[in-house]
Amino acid sequence: MQLNVKTALASRAHEVDDFAAAQEFFHSRGWTDGLPVVPPTEAAVEACLEWAGMPPDQLIGIEPVRAQPITAEKLAINAVMAGCLPMHFPVVATAWQAMLKDEFLLHGVTSSTGGCAVLVIINGPVRLEIGASGTFNVLGNSDRATAVIGRAIRLGLINILDVRPGQIDRATLGHPGKYSYCFAEDEEDMTWQPLHLQRGMPEGTSGVTVFASLAPRQIMNEWTTDPKEILETFAAEMRANQLHYSIYGGNYVIVIPKQLRDHIQAAGWTKTDIAEFLFERARVKRGEWANVGKGSVVRDRAEKVHPALLSPDDLLVVAAGGPAGGFGAVIPPWMGSKTRAVTAAIGVCVDCEPPKG
Amino acid sequence: MRILDPTNEQKTAGVQLAARLPSLEGLTVGIITNAKEGTKGYFTHLERLLRQEMGVADVVWREKSNYSAPCDAHIVREITNWHAVFAGVGD
Repeated sequence: MQLNVKTALASRAHEVDDFAAAQEFFHSRGWTDGLPVVPPTEAAVEACLEWAGMPPDQLIGIEPVRAQPITAEKLAINAVMAGCLPMHFPVVATAWQAMLKDEFLLHGVTSSTGGCAVLVIINGPVRLEIGASGTFNVLGNSDRATAVIGRAIRLGLINILDVRPGQIDRATLGHPGKYSYCFAEDEEDMTWQPLHLQRGMPEGTSGVTVFASLAPRQIMNEWTTDPKEILETFAAEMRANQLHYSIYGGNYVIVIPKQLRDHIQAAGWTKTDIAEFLFERARVKRGEWANVGKGSVVRDRAEKVHPALLSPDDLLVVAAGGPAGGFGAVIPPWMGSKTRAVTAAIGVCVDCEPPKG
Repeated sequence: MRILDPTNEQKTAGVQLAARLPSLEGLTVGIITNAKEGTKGYFTHLERLLRQEMGVADVVWREKSNYSAPCDAHIVREITNWHAVFAGVGD
């Protein structure tokens, strides 16, 4: 959809001599992630807004803790800086709408010492329009679209909400996903329901899921075709995360590549079947903390069982990855259920009030 | 080349600090903890200092229900009953 949006931009403009001067201007003010940025000219920013049909002052949401308004114009500026083309911008804006839901706990996840990043998962027809690949190197530098969309999220956090290391961002370690953390589901090569539909978005829509999460933990099992045995490896990794990082249950993402999901799908397992299996298998007793150096906090609750998922619905199963290799990934939550994954449909307001009159 | 400012220029108004108390002698002080493991020892020590060295009459402890979220509204309402409050992050 392209609309004629002619409301004037409100952001302060700066004059610089050339591209190189623009880099130094931005870096010197702490307005980057350390990498070069695309200079956000008025024309480039207006093109993003026009593509999305958003006036510059459209309020995407308000950051609930510090009451910071997030406008389409500021998101578009940061999206241009990240390298976004206009067609990428609706994904960025939708991701922010999702991040601003209370249950995402945006301030907590961006300020915590825990150091998570905002993972963005893209579903639906928009993937094909923008060239977001869900196959080779999917959790790495797989394609232009996911690279720049993920980066736009981080630059927006840095510049609009001051999420800079040592300021709002208090992460002890962080992880590489804080540069860009975005991928698409390989919907063309699976029999399963796409993630956004499974999470309640309407048929025919494109969807964006945001999840405040740690770095991917890679697993490997190329020595069985039994779905249970394959999933036991994922369960073991989830249990390891519970013991080594946080024992508390919440959302988890698992990424299942073609080589493994072919076996699981051939056995007739759905995403729901996978979630129910892992809900039962990914759980630890508090007493197991003693085996990993955390005995001092077991106290009198050694037999207490902690499931990694509070319910099977907490698991986000995503089909993605290159065609060969029995490698999968477990992507754990920042901290139990304090943050929740949020899914939103692009260009669809599922909870707007109907027009009055 | 004209480039646009990427920062949030619509900063919300800052807060004004309350008037400083000349002394804590005989006053009630609140402690709002985030309930993390490290807070117990830290604030217990702080309470001892407040009572023994600064003459504080009463120390009221409250725990946030979610250490990563803003303080619960019912605790915020209670603050008006205290003369001073420590709102600290312990880890």
